[in-house]
Amino acid sequence: MTLKETFLNPILKGNPITVLVLGICSSLAVTVTLKGALVMALSVTVVCGLSSLVMSLLRKGIPNRVRIIVQLVVVAMMVILVDQILKSFEATYAIDKQLSVYIGLIITNCIVMGRIEAFALGNKPWPSFLDGVANGTGYGLILIIVAFFRELLGSGTLFGIDILNRLGYVPNNLVILPPFALILLGCIVWVQRSIQKDLQEK
Amino acid sequence: MNTNGNIYTIVYTTVIVVIVAGILAAAATFLKPSQQANIKAETISQMLQAAQFETAGMNNVQKLDKYAAEIDRAFTVDAQGAKVKDLDVSRGNIELEDGLKAQNYALAGKGGYTVGLPVYILKDGVTVIPCYGAGLWGPVWGYLAIEPDGCTIKGAYFDHESETAGLGARIKDDPAFRSQFVGKKIAWGQEPRFDIIKGGAPAGQQNAIDAITGATMTSNGLNGAINNWLKAYEPYFNGIIAAKAAEEE
Repeated sequence: MTLKETFLNPILKGNPITVLVLGICSSLAVTVTLKGALVMALSVTVVCGLSSLVMSLLRKGIPNRVRIIVQLVVVAMMVILVDQILKSFEATYAIDKQLSVYIGLIITNCIVMGRIEAFALGNKPWPSFLDGVANGTGYGLILIIVAFFRELLGSGTLFGIDILNRLGYVPNNLVILPPFALILLGCIVWVQRSIQKDLQEK
Repeated sequence: MNTNGNIYTIVYTTVIVVIVAGILAAAATFLKPSQQANIKAETISQMLQAAQFETAGMNNVQKLDKYAAEIDRAFTVDAQGAKVKDLDVSRGNIELEDGLKAQNYALAGKGGYTVGLPVYILKDGVTVIPCYGAGLWGPVWGYLAIEPDGCTIKGAYFDHESETAGLGARIKDDPAFRSQFVGKKIAWGQEPRFDIIKGGAPAGQQNAIDAITGATMTSNGLNGAINNWLKAYEPYFNGIIAAKAAEEE
């Protein structure tokens, strides 16, 4: 695989959410507002990219028996660092609070450790970093699409700016609840599969 | 090199863990001051919003400036309503009593009064007091602003850690819920002193508001938080009301 493929594949054909169906839980939880989804997407991209980079650098020295534990330690460190940094900036503090436990729960996002196991442990640092960033981006892209519809229809706003409410729209409470995110995700999978025919099982 | 030997594995994991611990400790120490500044500004902003001051769009510095401009004095009281200690309200050294969680344990009878109940009095005579309790998924807390008469509510502001977005989270997000508090009266000495009623408060009941549809547990939790704390503050406010009555005679 060329570097370009390494980067583009997780965003389109091998999207972690719609094709691999990883990271579903958090995509239901943090997509109520676009702002939250954007911060979550960036956080996962940073964690995924840096963890893959570090694990790829360490890959030759890791004792095989404890490799999952070492991955956990590295990913946990990245997640805690991201959380601490978000908390310490005035601009991101409120969003970090809104996302509450879900930033910390990035560690349980299957995408992060999944990519380390599947890619970073067997590849050089630079492609591993790209793979991590690309998977985070692919995850974030879906998050932002879902959040766009949920915030627009559920609150009538985008990035907190009133769009539909002034036109007399009454926000739909179902859209705010997690089940609607699942319905939206299903629609995205449907659209993607009808465009990329090779994803359909025979 | 054999990377699967026992000695190698133990040394390797030890080194990794020590390095990670070092990085995290350094980050926590380095970032702590700015995190605390954010928490302080947020607390102040919530108190100001309870007292019906708009803080939207203000940055941390402006929030602190506004607080320093509006606050008259602040202190903590004990369970008998007597003053424990003063809190500094000068702009350079704003002091808040933020041990609400510990204080809530104390109120529930788990341990003595270790913290003291904070009272913040603004220049217009409005008193801001906190409350803290358990919502559905995590803690809920907030601030009540009480008029100089000691029983009329000027406003309220609530916050939560992880209530359901669109339902329980409306205690914070929905201005219509908060605005119900405005003008209500606390029924000191009665049970409950204030009530959040599922299905709607009866018209004319001065100490009750409507609960949030679909968020009964959060509404009940918030109601419990408010009542527990009002009960603790009762001796203090009884003193205020008695002093006022004596003044008028």
